[in-house]
Amino acid sequence: MMTKRIDNTPPTISSADESLVLSSLEHDQLVGAKKHHIPRRHLNRPELIVLWSLRIYLLFMMAVVAYQVWIAAH
Amino acid sequence: MKPVATQNGDEVVVITHEDIDRAHDRVRVSAARAQRGFSSKARLLWLLVGPGVLVMLGENDGPSMLAYAATGAKFGIGFFIPFVVLTFCMAIVVQEMTVRLGAATHRGHAELIFDRFGPFWGWFSMIDLGVGNFLTLITEFIAIRAGLGFFGVRPWIAILIALVILYAALMSHRYWTWERITLAAAAFNLVFIPVALMTHPSWHSVGRAFITWQPLPGFNKDTLLILLANIGATVTPWMLFFQQSATVDKGMTTKDIRFGRADTVIGATLATAAAIATILATAPLFAHQMTADNFQAAEFAQALQPLIGRFGASLFALGMVEAGIVAAITISTSSAYAYGEVTHKPHSLNVPMGEGKSFYAVLTLCAMAAAAIVLVPGLPLVYVVLLVNVVAVLAMPPALVFLFMLVNDKEIMGDLVSPLWANILSTGVVFVLTAAGIFFGISIIAPNIFAALGGK
Repeated sequence: MMTKRIDNTPPTISSADESLVLSSLEHDQLVGAKKHHIPRRHLNRPELIVLWSLRIYLLFMMAVVAYQVWIAAH
Repeated sequence: MKPVATQNGDEVVVITHEDIDRAHDRVRVSAARAQRGFSSKARLLWLLVGPGVLVMLGENDGPSMLAYAATGAKFGIGFFIPFVVLTFCMAIVVQEMTVRLGAATHRGHAELIFDRFGPFWGWFSMIDLGVGNFLTLITEFIAIRAGLGFFGVRPWIAILIALVILYAALMSHRYWTWERITLAAAAFNLVFIPVALMTHPSWHSVGRAFITWQPLPGFNKDTLLILLANIGATVTPWMLFFQQSATVDKGMTTKDIRFGRADTVIGATLATAAAIATILATAPLFAHQMTADNFQAAEFAQALQPLIGRFGASLFALGMVEAGIVAAITISTSSAYAYGEVTHKPHSLNVPMGEGKSFYAVLTLCAMAAAAIVLVPGLPLVYVVLLVNVVAVLAMPPALVFLFMLVNDKEIMGDLVSPLWANILSTGVVFVLTAAGIFFGISIIAPNIFAALGGK
């Protein structure tokens, strides 16, 4: 296993820490591994219908809540 | 501490301070898992509990405890006792999915929504979360202010105390330490149990309520509001984001899912006990025909004082303070996790302040802004408290559909996709929440319909 610095400052992570991390964490758990995005999935028509329906439902219900607040305030 | 790049096989990986802290936690888990016997299993459970207990007791927050107190004072012992158990069962079904998602993908909920569904849908869910969290945070500080107000503490001092506690929990810059401090604070949620015992509840009535779900409340607008408030007291969008992110931050893997489930069930059991205790504690107000309409937060403590004495009332007020503080910590943390996941900036409680400036800034600024609003004189805070749980219920179906789609996504979940029974249950939860929201809408737009159906 090779270790190299990524900048010119002296490394402050010991080799013991490195081996601890590599032996204890799964590769996907490393902060560096999370820089890679998970590929986007395609949303099919039924899924889009459900998502849009719920979005419209939520916006409508928020308007109802705002109306209730307005009624209560007056 | 500067990160270093390490060549692991053909791939170069960057190791950070956050990785090292998490690795130390995982070493202890691995050591406990390697041993046999009851004590090592108990130690393993001790090491792995946290996100589930915190999310469930965190959701027993200011508005939730107020909703339970109002339920007891308005309806006494009856239908709502088993109903609360049912709502926590719904919460277990939903939250278990976040444990699996977090352990399988090692990604937070906001990050997964953005990556898998794109920024268009991602921003919708972030707006839902951000607005809901901020409104809820305001109510937590209302609960803290009211609870400490019972002891004569001035509002600005009460708010300052809460912010200091929140900041103190963060100062360790270690997820493990933060989790244990917050768990210790959350344990005070159970203070409602001795308060309930002081009211000498009729156990015969409690048993009958569990078996028969009776007496039933009248079918009207008030009942529907309390019904929604009780649902919103157990299942809300921030819980999904928080538990998944905390599962990832804790470093849990697929081997830990069984313990993650146990963690969730333990949390739900404790939270159910505290919720039912709160209903029982305020049920004497119903028996004495004292109207609950004018009570807010710790005013329930004042109302209970003639019945259970100063000590019992003080416990009740302290319970409100605890509910507010723990929820303020967990909810502001969920906002900060989501922000970091979406912007791909450091987002972990293991990150030192210097490396995670934006994470800690979002966390503290959210809390400080909500706290400041509570101190503005003349604001209609009561409306916020009453409606925050309702808003949570309304925002839940879209959030649940995203969760449902993610947890059934074979590409990211592999063999850990939801089994059929879990899908049936979660679909049922979506339908129940949507129907409750629609009924609420009808009750506002056309209140006479309820009168026509036999309500008041």
